[in-house]
Amino acid sequence: MILYLLRRTAALAGVLLAIAGVTFVIFYVLPNDPAAAACGKTCSPERLAVVREYLGLDRSVWSQFTEFLTGIFTGRTLGTGQYAVQCDFPCLGYSYENSLPVWDLLMDRLPVSASLALGAAVLWLVLGLGAGVTAALRKDTLADKTLMVGAVAAASLPVYFTSVMLIYGVIRIAGLLPYPSYRPFTEDPVGWASNLLLPWIALALLYAAIYARQSRGSMIESMAEPYIRTARAKGMPERTVVVKHGLRSGMTPILTIFGMDLGGLLAGAVITESIFGLPGIGRLFYGALVNSDQPVVLGVTLLAAFFIVVANLVVDLLYAVVDPRVRY
Amino acid sequence: MTKRTQLALATTLVAALALGVTGCSDSDKGKNGGKPRSNPAAANDGKILGGTPVKGGTLTVLSNQDFSHLDPARNWVMPAMDFGTRLLYRTLVTFKAEPGKAGSELVPDLATDLGKPSNGGRTWTFTLKDGLKYEDGSPIKAQDIKYNVERSFSPDLTGGPDYAARYLAGTKGYTGPLEGKHLDSIKTPDDKTIVFELNRPVAEFSATATLPTFSPVPQAKEKGTQYDSRPFSSGPYKIESYDRDKKLVLVRNEHWDAGTDTVRKAYPDKFVVVMGLKGGQIDDRIIASAGPDASTVAYADMRPESAPKVLPKADVKSRLLAESQGCTSMLQLNTSRAPFNDPKVREALQYAVDKESVVTASGGPALNEIATAYLPSSLTGGVQADTLKIAPSGDPEKAKELLKAAGKEKLKVSLTVSSGDKGVAEALQQGLGRAGVQVVIDTVDPGAFYDIIGDTTTAPDMTYSGWCPDYPSGSTFLPFVFDGRTIKVKGNSGNYSQFKDDATMKRIDEVSALDDAQLARQGWIDLDAEIMKKAPAIPVLLERKPLLIGTNVAGAFGHPVWSGAIDYATVGLKDPAKGQG
Amino acid sequence: MTTTAAGTAPAAAVPPGSSPWQLARRELRRRPAVRISLTVVVLFVLMAATAPWLGALGGWSPEEFDKSAVDSYLGGLPIGSFGGISSEHWLGVEPVTGRDLFARVIHGAQVSLLIAFAATAIVVLVGTAAGIAAGYFGGRTDAVLSRLMDLTMSFPSLIFMIAMLSVAKDVNRILLITAVIGLFGWPGVARVVRGQTLSLKHREYVDAARVGGAGAWRILTRDILPGVSGPVIAYTTLLIPGMISTEAALSYLGVGVRPPTPSWGQMIAESVAFYETDPMYFVIPSTFLFLAVLAFTLLGDALRDILDPRGGRT
Repeated sequence: MILYLLRRTAALAGVLLAIAGVTFVIFYVLPNDPAAAACGKTCSPERLAVVREYLGLDRSVWSQFTEFLTGIFTGRTLGTGQYAVQCDFPCLGYSYENSLPVWDLLMDRLPVSASLALGAAVLWLVLGLGAGVTAALRKDTLADKTLMVGAVAAASLPVYFTSVMLIYGVIRIAGLLPYPSYRPFTEDPVGWASNLLLPWIALALLYAAIYARQSRGSMIESMAEPYIRTARAKGMPERTVVVKHGLRSGMTPILTIFGMDLGGLLAGAVITESIFGLPGIGRLFYGALVNSDQPVVLGVTLLAAFFIVVANLVVDLLYAVVDPRVRY
Repeated sequence: MTKRTQLALATTLVAALALGVTGCSDSDKGKNGGKPRSNPAAANDGKILGGTPVKGGTLTVLSNQDFSHLDPARNWVMPAMDFGTRLLYRTLVTFKAEPGKAGSELVPDLATDLGKPSNGGRTWTFTLKDGLKYEDGSPIKAQDIKYNVERSFSPDLTGGPDYAARYLAGTKGYTGPLEGKHLDSIKTPDDKTIVFELNRPVAEFSATATLPTFSPVPQAKEKGTQYDSRPFSSGPYKIESYDRDKKLVLVRNEHWDAGTDTVRKAYPDKFVVVMGLKGGQIDDRIIASAGPDASTVAYADMRPESAPKVLPKADVKSRLLAESQGCTSMLQLNTSRAPFNDPKVREALQYAVDKESVVTASGGPALNEIATAYLPSSLTGGVQADTLKIAPSGDPEKAKELLKAAGKEKLKVSLTVSSGDKGVAEALQQGLGRAGVQVVIDTVDPGAFYDIIGDTTTAPDMTYSGWCPDYPSGSTFLPFVFDGRTIKVKGNSGNYSQFKDDATMKRIDEVSALDDAQLARQGWIDLDAEIMKKAPAIPVLLERKPLLIGTNVAGAFGHPVWSGAIDYATVGLKDPAKGQG
Repeated sequence: MTTTAAGTAPAAAVPPGSSPWQLARRELRRRPAVRISLTVVVLFVLMAATAPWLGALGGWSPEEFDKSAVDSYLGGLPIGSFGGISSEHWLGVEPVTGRDLFARVIHGAQVSLLIAFAATAIVVLVGTAAGIAAGYFGGRTDAVLSRLMDLTMSFPSLIFMIAMLSVAKDVNRILLITAVIGLFGWPGVARVVRGQTLSLKHREYVDAARVGGAGAWRILTRDILPGVSGPVIAYTTLLIPGMISTEAALSYLGVGVRPPTPSWGQMIAESVAFYETDPMYFVIPSTFLFLAVLAFTLLGDALRDILDPRGGRT
């Protein structure tokens, strides 16, 4: 088990390194010149050269990359002279745009994206598994068919359409909720939830269908297994049979999908955040892209990859808990 | 300055139609295709909305973006310059807080007068007022202004106006004060006197001294690039908190003395800027003006698609400011190579462009007017010249003739625009298509836009961009846009046509040397007409700045110098009790 | 946003005897929902294929401005109710430009479906090739390809797609979008195919062919490929709606097709701002996108049930 963990962690580091390399090459070699963007409107060639040197862009990509990598762990000094800034571990560099440490920017936005992702995940699990199990237990009835077609239809609606309709119906017409503006959970839990409710619904509708279909399939299959009959014969309540025996054995594929979905969402749902105007990582990323703010783009990409890789690892470990047959 | 406002605006994700709007006065309305309808957005021109404010309360500013820079050495984007110099820092000279023409009058701010020229306009001396204090009560010294001017040379502190570098003597190779080096051409004989030695006579240096570069930053407060997040206040408000990209809260600077300041009224107790909102939501909130939203003003331009919710409703329309921006948007033709090195082809394009479609694409005639000359009407006495008299939708037949005469009946050219100007590009494409000119559009991120069009080795055949005067003088316009000597291989700015014409450059020097303001003004107007004939660029639009204000807002008007943005010196609330929190 | 997760490798195989197409056709005839979605899919494909002619029926080209159809003083709002629907403009016009929505939706279908199909083709070809190679040759080939799949799947794909598209200039956008979407999609197919190949590899008939002296190429094309084609067909159909949505998302974020080319995503992106003042403009492209995604998903579901009864669930 420990050996397995060590091996997975090493693989995780390798994947992150590869992603960092690819991202670095794409953004530091492609045509946009961040020095020119930072220098401003009437930038003389001499000044441009000075700015480029200041940003370290005059050196080779390789030396920039190695400095970036070692800088993550050892920290770096950026800038020159008396007002140079020290960037401590974990140093992902400084934003070209507003001179703030990328790490701080990410950590500042993470609660927003994480709240969005986790809340939506709870909602889609409840909706998806609920619909899936209900449909499975009433296999081939009208309820089953309605639920399944409904799920597919909900997932087929473009997320911008659902979001805009929610904003229009709930906020503009009914006036039930304020325009979403993120409030920290620790300060105002009610405000937190009411501001995030619509984004949660919009995202959950998109994802719930996959879970409904998956769990329906698993349930139908596992409810036909002999041990279910045994459990029933032993006089176990139907509820326990369904949850403990039926659902649990069908969890493995659902966990796989869930890990990927949540991992992908934690680092920001670009479209949802933009439509609802939530200051999450997705919006940070898009803004950075528009302004050629490469350190921020790189930081977001790495964080996103990190979440995906970690989510996959956690899911693999959870298999052992869910499915007793799995051993490491 | 270039219309950098666009950069910021386009960061809203759905930059579907218009970007920003840059504006102009309504005086040349008669030419607008002879449409009899009066402009519904022009009703509030030159008016102060909401009457005189009452002191107190919280005024909320709704924005779709963060300020690009609030560090006075780096602040050169239009509404941010207004916000910074009206609320956070004072400059040697500033503009009157009045709508219309009176707004472009200069008044002393930190200085006792508009500066005394000597040595034929090569030396300018300013004396500071008594009793000027920073937010911590310490006195404002002339050395601090010198220090901030020096900071504008620092490669770490990018983005700010470069007039100091253009005008000051002996600045070659100077890289700012961060490493302890100082400029000899700025002298501070005592704490109250500052003397600027210039490299040539500059008659309008008083106006130059309105730029944020000429505001004080004490050396002890220097934090390099981090200063941007917490500028030290010399104005009526100081920063209480600044959560980048989310929220900025300003509270009163108790050490600011209203007795030393003739311009800033500082009505509200508090300013809260909420950033990163969707443009359409800002409009919806202010239109509804429910609860605290009544005490808000928009920092972002009204979206064109909100127009149907505003213009037909008298009560909402009365809360719309739509002052001219005083900028001209132009289609710049790359004169350095074929096909636009041929003046005949350029002239044909003057006739081929369908400006009427571009107006619609930019929000319609309520928010834009057709430009008929380069100099915006604010520099030419309210009316733009129209020397060529081309119909608003162009004259494709005449364009075809001209192209035939030039032997270029079939043309295929490239056009690069900032991604927010996509609609405009399509309107231009459609117009030129009528004369047989095929246009390939390239939209690029606003952040990379000036970078790409400023690289003369890769510059496209055509670009669409605007120029705004930094202060009301032709000298901040034509020399930046058409002087061939300013062309740089990389980082080229302003003269995107790469227009290098000896007669034009000679005339620019002659007019720049005139010290009679009236003569200089006529000189620029005549030169404008001359350049129009050579057509290195086609003036397309004069834009307005549509801004909505809440029902509880008073004293709001669009200031002509800051491209029609709300003058933050005088805006406040009708009923401060409603604007609490 | 909408990249759906791939199912893991199927445990059982389709009986190699009957052709998947025969199975499919027999089964499809029995289900009404599938018949409807198949009809919708065929209609959309026909619409896309005949766009230049069908679009011309309304008398407008997708790029032609109609100044008379919009009120320029009201932010370019279409004149008339329901977004300017009239005998002149069958589905109304685009605000501001007055371009004909009927022509744009039809041409947009062409672009959207072209990108979705082309990207799916790339994904399926690359994925199948990589999956078969990994499964059949095993050993080092398998190790390298599997690591590559893991790595590609660890990329935050949407973030990467946006970033790559936004930095690339001066290239054919449609080609680039297709390539970028394809780049991140292949491991899903590859995993399915790899699992399937592993289970087929040691079947008697394959062993028999090997003993009979058949080369690797022959075995792969004659014996393995037909065996994996069932799940691949099902998986492919289910990929298409994801691809349509991805194209729409990218265009929505402003890194999609170049103007004035219409695509559904681009149309929705521009219409979102008008949802209140010109709802029809927003509803029309959204409905087309919704129907296309729905129809392809239902069809894919059905195909999967028939061709790969266990594949989707395990």
